[in-house]
Amino acid sequence: MKLKKAFIPHETGDGSLLIPAGGAGFSGLVKGNKTLGAILELLKEETTEDAVISAMKNRFDAPADVIERDVKKALAELRKIGALDE
Amino acid sequence: MFDIKLADKRISIINLYSYSEELCRNYILGVNESELIPTDMTVKISDYDIEYERRKSEQEDLKEGIPVRHFDDDYLESLAVYRKIAEKMPEYDTVLFHGSCISVDGMGFLFTAKSGTGKSTHTRLWKELLGDRAVMVNDDKPLIKIIRQDLERKYDAIAYGTPWAGKHELSYNISVPLKAVCILERSRDNSISRISKVEAYPMLMQQVYRPSDTVTMKKTLDLIDMMDVKLYRLCCNMDISAAELSYRIMSMD
Repeated sequence: MKLKKAFIPHETGDGSLLIPAGGAGFSGLVKGNKTLGAILELLKEETTEDAVISAMKNRFDAPADVIERDVKKALAELRKIGALDE
Repeated sequence: MFDIKLADKRISIINLYSYSEELCRNYILGVNESELIPTDMTVKISDYDIEYERRKSEQEDLKEGIPVRHFDDDYLESLAVYRKIAEKMPEYDTVLFHGSCISVDGMGFLFTAKSGTGKSTHTRLWKELLGDRAVMVNDDKPLIKIIRQDLERKYDAIAYGTPWAGKHELSYNISVPLKAVCILERSRDNSISRISKVEAYPMLMQQVYRPSDTVTMKKTLDLIDMMDVKLYRLCCNMDISAAELSYRIMSMD
């Protein structure tokens, strides 16, 4: 899976935004913390859910089950708005 | 076909209906003026563009849960013209911004908010408060150009009037330096505070026109990042005292 080109991650200083371009079919925006930013960064290249979870575990100190839950939740939200190519 | 000048750019418009030309009447270049210099952009409208606007309008009405409105082709064409211009404008460091922009003593103040919050009502209160000192730049969709000041790594923003100015067509063909952008929220009592770019960012991104081309969209994000103006959040009611407060604070800082 990979982030669709029409969805553009943008750092704002205290967090991350995912902003769809005009023709993306979703007119809102997704606001999140730096964890979301890290997930979006990983999704710029073709990857899998397991690979994202594994990369996030290596990068952050939080308990493994919390990271796994957060990644699954973020991916589910991204799927819901049609931001992922799978 | 006619030529207009918008945000210092020459634009040729190849239209199907006369309404677009009528709407742009205060921005049309004279024949001699338009023949001498090549245009920066050409906008050509087809039946497909008009159908696209019709479908988009219907989708938005359905999303908002209101009865689907039906518009004539000539009006839809005027929307298509501005959409095509807005798609290209970031190439010229210029973005379309949804908001009501008013000039006081030559400085621009832009109020933005979700539809129905009262942007136009608030700038009307500024007019009531300040009389002839206040001139409406554009009540709905001004263009904002970001200009780099070469010696300091600083960017100024200039607000431009455009023919697309909302239902009351309140707009003048003028440009003013933009002093501040204010996010409006409705409230029983009035209060105003300075906010950071980070706090304002989600609303700024909701209110700027988002091009469909991803490269141009990224340029739009960069331009919003560079926009160096004071930012405020105003919680306000519809009383003149709201304008007294916002003008006092925003003009003083």
